[in-house]
Amino acid sequence: MNEIKINNLSDLQKVKKIYNDNAKRYKMQIAVCGGAGCVSSNCAEVLQAFKEELAAYNLGEQIQVIETGCMGLCAVGPVAIVSPERIFYTKLDAEAAKEIVAKHIVGGNPVIDYTYYDETLNKHIPCVDDISFFKEQVKIALRNCGIIEHASIDAYISRDGYKAALDCLTSKSSQDVIDEVKKSGLKGRGGAGFPTGIKFQSGYNAKGKDKYLVCNADEGDPGAFMDRSILEGDPHTVIEGMLIAGYAIGAKKGYVYIRAEYPIAVERLGNAISNAYKYGLLGEGIFGSEFSFDLELRIGAGAFVCGEETALMQSIEGKRGEPQQKPPFPFQKGLFGKPTIIDNVETLANVPAIMLKGSAWHAQYGTETSKGTKVFALAGDVVNTGIIEVPIGTTIGDILFKIGGGMRNKKKFKAVQIGGPSGGCITQENLNTPADYESLAKLGAIMGSGGFIAMTEDTCMVDTARFFMDFIKDESCGKCLPCRIGTKRMLEILERITSGCGQEGDLELLEELSITIKDTAMCGLGQTAPNPVLSTLANFRKEYEEHIKQGYCRAGVCGDLFISPCENACPANINVPGYLSLIAAGRFVDAYNLIRQENPFPAICGRICTRPCELKCRRSTVDEAVAICDLKRFVADYAFKNEKTSKSDIVFPKNGKSVAIIGAGASGLTCAYYLARIGYTVDVYESHSIAGGVLAFGIPEYRLPKKVLEHEIELIKDAGVNILLNKEVGKDIDFKTLRMSYDSIYIATGTQYPIKVNIPGEDLQGVYHGINFLKDTNFEKPVALGKTVAVIGGGNTAIDSARTAVRLGAEKVIILYRRTIDAMPAYITEIDEALEEGIEIMELVAPVRFVDGSAGKLSKIECVKMQLGDFDKSGRRRSIEVPGSNFFLDVDNVIIAISQYSDLPFISKDEIALTSWGTFVVEDQTLATTMEGVFAGGDVARGPDTVIRAIADGKAAAVSIDKYLGGKGKLNKGAAISIPDTFDEDEVVSLKRFPQELLSPEERKDNFDEVVIGYHKLNAMAEAMRCLHCDRR
Amino acid sequence: MSDKLADCTCCCCENCKEFDEISNIIDLYKGKEGSLIQVLHSAQNIYGHLPLEVQEFIAEKMDLPLSEVSSVISFYSFFSTVPRGLHTIRVCMGTACYVRGGKNLVERLKELLDIEIGGTTQDGKFTFEIARCIGACGLAPAIMIDDVVYKQVTENKLESILSKY
Repeated sequence: MNEIKINNLSDLQKVKKIYNDNAKRYKMQIAVCGGAGCVSSNCAEVLQAFKEELAAYNLGEQIQVIETGCMGLCAVGPVAIVSPERIFYTKLDAEAAKEIVAKHIVGGNPVIDYTYYDETLNKHIPCVDDISFFKEQVKIALRNCGIIEHASIDAYISRDGYKAALDCLTSKSSQDVIDEVKKSGLKGRGGAGFPTGIKFQSGYNAKGKDKYLVCNADEGDPGAFMDRSILEGDPHTVIEGMLIAGYAIGAKKGYVYIRAEYPIAVERLGNAISNAYKYGLLGEGIFGSEFSFDLELRIGAGAFVCGEETALMQSIEGKRGEPQQKPPFPFQKGLFGKPTIIDNVETLANVPAIMLKGSAWHAQYGTETSKGTKVFALAGDVVNTGIIEVPIGTTIGDILFKIGGGMRNKKKFKAVQIGGPSGGCITQENLNTPADYESLAKLGAIMGSGGFIAMTEDTCMVDTARFFMDFIKDESCGKCLPCRIGTKRMLEILERITSGCGQEGDLELLEELSITIKDTAMCGLGQTAPNPVLSTLANFRKEYEEHIKQGYCRAGVCGDLFISPCENACPANINVPGYLSLIAAGRFVDAYNLIRQENPFPAICGRICTRPCELKCRRSTVDEAVAICDLKRFVADYAFKNEKTSKSDIVFPKNGKSVAIIGAGASGLTCAYYLARIGYTVDVYESHSIAGGVLAFGIPEYRLPKKVLEHEIELIKDAGVNILLNKEVGKDIDFKTLRMSYDSIYIATGTQYPIKVNIPGEDLQGVYHGINFLKDTNFEKPVALGKTVAVIGGGNTAIDSARTAVRLGAEKVIILYRRTIDAMPAYITEIDEALEEGIEIMELVAPVRFVDGSAGKLSKIECVKMQLGDFDKSGRRRSIEVPGSNFFLDVDNVIIAISQYSDLPFISKDEIALTSWGTFVVEDQTLATTMEGVFAGGDVARGPDTVIRAIADGKAAAVSIDKYLGGKGKLNKGAAISIPDTFDEDEVVSLKRFPQELLSPEERKDNFDEVVIGYHKLNAMAEAMRCLHCDRR
Repeated sequence: MSDKLADCTCCCCENCKEFDEISNIIDLYKGKEGSLIQVLHSAQNIYGHLPLEVQEFIAEKMDLPLSEVSSVISFYSFFSTVPRGLHTIRVCMGTACYVRGGKNLVERLKELLDIEIGGTTQDGKFTFEIARCIGACGLAPAIMIDDVVYKQVTENKLESILSKY
């Protein structure tokens, strides 16, 4: 920069012209992001590498290299943009920089491999303007961030910087400025959303010569990093904003209060201020007018409460940052006793743009009541963490999914915390809510400063509330009793709950304390401190109750409540780390017996379980989850082969009471097994000719051989369970008779009936329903399949049907699914194995009708293409038809596998409470129905669910029935098994799973041989040793 | 005692140089109302921490009651009255970092350094603290050692990061 003063428009334009002329002489530009995130990721090295490499090619004069402010996509930094093509490079290092110079700058070919990779679209998108993260944004406060050199005042001026200030100071009155800001609809962006124009007006109206303008840059909300991006990327917009605001209110002195945790911001803003002084843009007689304005930096010292305006002013005065009573308000009596106006960084950053382009331009963005844009900081479990700016009113779902890229690791979205420790959480039912002040307030949240922390199923909401309260308790200044003591008491209650010591009445006490503190605390910190607790209680009360009443943390976070995340996630609470230790020690049969204490079907589950444990396995944060399920299968198969070494179960003597169980599926047999072992006489009534339910006929042989199922059922019969086959309740025996003959009944009939897709042609010849198709195949009834088979659905039944069709000789099998593959509920290895076997999956397709070829036989399916729309109540995007995209598929057969329902012909709706979709209404913990002595569990009580859940229900029902019949509810799990205490203390090295053997696709396509052969003993032991033993304390 | 320090011109007291520097800083800020906190920042940078002697010195020089200087120091978490390690490790426990595993980093550091939060290692090398949010949420979980921010830190990376110091 030149050391001349800028006194008028012509001076300003001269600087602009010189800068732009200089810029024109460069052929290309490399803009390297120097936002705080990229600085921490070592962008300095990248910048250096670019410069050195260009010098080596003698291109230093032709290619401009600049360091800008934050470009926004912190998750993939360091980043850079090469212009004029605007190619966006990510995850750079010195090596990549050199390669880009050689191949792109010199060679003319962008290096696609280093450009941005979109995870949801699965492809590279080289040009920044095509990336949806950027496309959806409108940048006003961030208009220069990521574009200009943050350290250059000339660069700022080249984009019409300081022109607005010049205009205001030389040709507008203070009232003119205030009116324009009022018309623009700008509201405070720090959190309260107070109309900025009105604030300026009150500052202007205040009497007195000495007034102060203060910029609140004490961005203390955890999860907020918007203001720092503005300060570090475009400091002059804040200076210009303050200049204009100072003029509007008549202040001669401004302070910027920056928190001490932002040394980069302090440095860059400090330099910017000094440059502004050099140009005469600060100081005496600016632009030759009578207006003088001095700007000084004040640094905080680590107190969150100093973000509150009265505490902030105390801090600027060098005192303890304790909030003061209001009234008097700052505009009446503020800093040093004088009228003071305090504005947030982002608010001020908007002011120059508004004055330059006009209030009408600004008011085109946003909603009726909240105009303009808002900068949000996306953090937490979302893919695209970083800074964005969007028009106010953009929906939360769009922010998180369209711009944010959805949840990391394909985890399920649970809630988003908006507004920091003063805010609340928005859940999946409200994803369509626009992010504006009013809509969020209606949901019990606040806009706040703009922090958006995404949380998935792995976050415990009670622990989150505790975390925020811990923060607030620490940051409480201590001045007023409600906050000082109240937050501590609330924290104590939350800590008890998360450590398993929650008591009856705790939740009511939390609510009472919350309301009292909100009413009586002196400042905003205390008044909003209870918000996270109130919000999580309102939206996730069940989680709190689970912690207190059941000692259960569903997210697997509150370590005092479980052995390990895997054991916690298992509905049957199998001691996973225990059996992995036993396998690692070579004690396979002991491992098998340990599992059998909690689950009588290890061989089954080891083959078909949905593995909720593996989703929580902490090993996946290192490399890959431990193969908990496959190892279960290994020990079960091992025990089967070495039957002599597995003991037979201990059974208590008969107690004279009897229980009838309807349905010999996983749930019924589990309940029977545990009841028999504590002495009950148990009769299981099964309508089919074989026992096992869905395990017997709904799962194909190549996944679950009959031999295996028969063996496990034999062991259950050995415990004294009596299975009566070919006995249908309601036909062969009356339900009333059962009730009279037995002391208690457990109904576990499952969901046997396929849900119809209800489109024309469903009853044509050649149309099957999944569960019936599988049943017929398993019972070896002939099923005529033609060459081309379509399967409709995306769950395990659909995949099972498709793979069975292949084995029955179909040449072409296509699965039609109305969403995308990654949304399919089927287990991932099933999908992979299906694809290996040549099955095709068509995404985003739905059937419209089945077409009759001739004589009632199916010949085609009319389909329509689908697209993803807005969110439904479960947080998934609705799948909606693309109008006019219909097409036809020639098929010989179609198998419809979209879900099942239960039907209870033996019991009338008048006698027992049923839900609208035909399942029993049961009491949560006891599984009791509304009929005395009758219990229900598994799919018939839950709707289609997993086998392990059904098994867990069976076990829980056994406990309930025992209690109902006068027992203590204590199950007989046999002798305790000693578990070795050896842990591997060595450093964890990244190592993917040890493989088990599978049949190759060729070997398996035309037969029903079991596809998975299993683990070799040594690989099993090694795999078990990958366990991190999260159970150790 | 503070009189002696204020007037000390000989080189026999241990921290003459530091007190002189602090004195210069105070002079720089003369005339700027309410600059106690800025002075305290500089004084701590120079002296390392703010023990009673330094507090008395500053109070004397700035014509403020010792109680006021003391109360400001005790309010703000950045100021320490006890010696701090050569390097300060701050683990960010902001929401985003917490959600991404900050707690585990804290436990691991406690083990590696054999100190509690707020403590300083035996050899005076490291002081271990929790930072609230350091504003690097895009890079969670993050830790800071002095001014340098380390991003996406895992328990395994900790040892190699510490070995740099």
